[in-house]
Amino acid sequence: MEFSLAELNAVSKSYANTPVIKGVDFSVRAGEIHALLGGNGAGKSTLMKILAGLVPASGGQVRIGGQPLSPATPAQAQAMGLYLVPQEAHIFPNQSVLENVCVGLPKSAAEYRTRITDLIAQLGVSLSVDVKAATLEIADRQIVEILRGLVRDAKVLILDEPTSALTPVEVDTLFTRMRGLRNSGHGLVFISHKLHELRAVSDRITVLRDGYVVHSADMADSADADILSAMSPGVTTLSARAGDKQGHADKAAVLTLQNMSGEGFVDISFDVKQGEVLGLTGVVGAGRTELAETLVGLRPRAAGNVTLDSVSFRAKSPFEAIKKGVVHLSEDRQQYGLFLEAPLFWNTSSLVYDRLPFFLRTRYERKRFDTYRTALGIKCESPDQHVGSLSGGNQQKVLLSKCLAAEPKVLILDEPTRGVDVGARNDIYSIIEQLAENGTSVILISSDFDEVVRLSDRIVVMAGGHLAGELPSGASTDEIAQLAFEAEETAHA
Amino acid sequence: MLEWIARDRVATLFMVTVGVILAVGAASPGFLSLGTASIVWSNGLVLMLVALGIFPVILTRNIDVSGGSVLGLSAVTLGLSVNAGFAMPIAIAMAMGAGIAAGALNGFLVAVLGAPSIVATLGTLGLFRGAMLIATGGEWIEGLPENLKALGARSFAGLSVMGVVTASIIILLWVFLRSRRGRWFMVVGDNREAARHLGLPVKRIEFLAFVWAGAAASVAGITFASQIGFVPNQAGTGIELRAIAALVLGGVSLLGGVGSVAGVVIGVIFFTSIDTSLVFLKIPAYWNDLIGGAMLLTVLLIDGRLRIALEARDRAARYRRGEQGGPDLKNAEDAA
Repeated sequence: MEFSLAELNAVSKSYANTPVIKGVDFSVRAGEIHALLGGNGAGKSTLMKILAGLVPASGGQVRIGGQPLSPATPAQAQAMGLYLVPQEAHIFPNQSVLENVCVGLPKSAAEYRTRITDLIAQLGVSLSVDVKAATLEIADRQIVEILRGLVRDAKVLILDEPTSALTPVEVDTLFTRMRGLRNSGHGLVFISHKLHELRAVSDRITVLRDGYVVHSADMADSADADILSAMSPGVTTLSARAGDKQGHADKAAVLTLQNMSGEGFVDISFDVKQGEVLGLTGVVGAGRTELAETLVGLRPRAAGNVTLDSVSFRAKSPFEAIKKGVVHLSEDRQQYGLFLEAPLFWNTSSLVYDRLPFFLRTRYERKRFDTYRTALGIKCESPDQHVGSLSGGNQQKVLLSKCLAAEPKVLILDEPTRGVDVGARNDIYSIIEQLAENGTSVILISSDFDEVVRLSDRIVVMAGGHLAGELPSGASTDEIAQLAFEAEETAHA
Repeated sequence: MLEWIARDRVATLFMVTVGVILAVGAASPGFLSLGTASIVWSNGLVLMLVALGIFPVILTRNIDVSGGSVLGLSAVTLGLSVNAGFAMPIAIAMAMGAGIAAGALNGFLVAVLGAPSIVATLGTLGLFRGAMLIATGGEWIEGLPENLKALGARSFAGLSVMGVVTASIIILLWVFLRSRRGRWFMVVGDNREAARHLGLPVKRIEFLAFVWAGAAASVAGITFASQIGFVPNQAGTGIELRAIAALVLGGVSLLGGVGSVAGVVIGVIFFTSIDTSLVFLKIPAYWNDLIGGAMLLTVLLIDGRLRIALEARDRAARYRRGEQGGPDLKNAEDAA
């Protein structure tokens, strides 16, 4: 038995008499990367928060470096050599990167400056320590979190979905760095929904379901099918592409963009046909989100023409866009999508409030929600529940219900499966397919090339704000990657 | 120049203040003198102390509206104890003790019991004022001894003892906020959850901010009593709102995490110098509030507009660079 850097023995946790963790054993050894997998709501995050002292356990024992974690506070866990890199980077927007990394350390920030610039260089990223953290991109915010762990000399690093906001290239860099840490005797816990990522770096895997450990073995001994069936019985793989769909070439274009330019993109032209799923892909920073936001009037349009059903289309605000039938689902569901503390049925009605009667009739709104609840398979207790209490996948479905309630002609989905588990991802895929079948045009923005290939009838690739190329249905991820990355190199040359 | 304004609202405010003072000096000769500066400083002491007290509370993204009542409570404690024959140092210690206890109650309500700070301090605003009125039976406290009044009188180089004390408090707070632990007050307001994740004692920090506010308000109460020589039962009423206005004017964000001691000082001096200017310009005192309010709005609007313009410029610049294949792509490329 190798030495465990951190372990949980028969740990359990209940919230208001609802048990969420039920007697879980878990350990991280020196020099290993331990993958932790589970559906949304399986208890992964809670388990890791218990290990990091953020949430007290209701029962069982937490040990770090052989010593019991007491008192169970984050400060104590960090002092004992464990750092949790949370899924959403926790940054102080008004402080410099340096201050962000050094808050809570025993000496003042200035004394760590050289150490941190060295670490940044080792990580192979370019990041100035003096910029205000508010200006950082999501990927750089993750780097700040990882730096926090490294500068604290943490022997155990827990990475909670570190790759969900990263591009494939950045993911590779992160993996190299993780292997480096493993080889220098660190223990890492790696949480991700993407099985191929887990397989690429992990030594052991533990699968959680409903608060129990349902699978725990060496990675090499675990077949994909075993892992998937342990995680969500009944799902053995991501459902395959539903045959080859009929071509849309003969259909009329619903939305046409001509030489559109704006913040972060120039000279973009493409069209979407009726009932078509158009994959819009590229790496983070390629200008896809900016393009979508410009279309619905969130950002100013610098140049170009857009026609919707052969009529010139220009939305001054998302409200106007919705009225004309163009609905946009933001990539940041917590910040721009959901009203987290409002009941579910409010969220579903939130894009169509102007169509509701003067005196609200909540009975109809609840009924509307119930229709979508069955259609989309939203798992919840009642329409009056707060959205914040649902898991990520179900939150995303509530967002979709909100968009569908507005009866869009063109639906723009920005990263609809970010942070969503395999089961819910399958559901969302079939919802998108269903929509397209019923004649809605869907623009699917995604950085996950597999997802784009899986769903799209046509693929448009953007790189560095330019249109890099268009690929037909069935193109391979390699072809996409080539377009998405090569255009960048030429831009630099 | 524009960059300077972009970084700091303090810069805008500083220029407006200098502009206003020069304009008043041009209209009313004799205004621009060291004597006036000394008057402005001593007139602003009470507001300054209350503002310096509330400042760390706002940095932690809470608010304290009970400052005026704590001021009154401390002034009354001081007045009653000196008139009861306690020695001056003991009376001052008791007044500060009252302020610190009041601050600790606020801190307990917010940090320990988790009451929203606006609710908690609105409650204690009435509570402390009531305690003060019951203590005096609604009477004014008069006939304070000369050695107390001496603390507020301008003695050496145009400064009073309380003036020097206040200046030291300003320096103390400035130094503290630049220290490692001082930074904690700013980061708690910037992102409370992040501070908790990094193991900061968030609740203790919030509690201490309220205690500090109580202590500063009690020093303001002592200053108030020493300057006017008696304690009326409405002592300090409404001063917390003026202090908050001065803080906002000085660039302190009500959303927490942003602000500087220099901004607080200039914000308070701006308000006080307007009041003093009106005396020199022979404008009746009942115009003070209207003019003060109008100036506040003007500065905030100009500053807001400038900031929007600068942000638009920075944003445009960022996207122009992006079109040339600039920094947005740099990370991916370095990684490759």
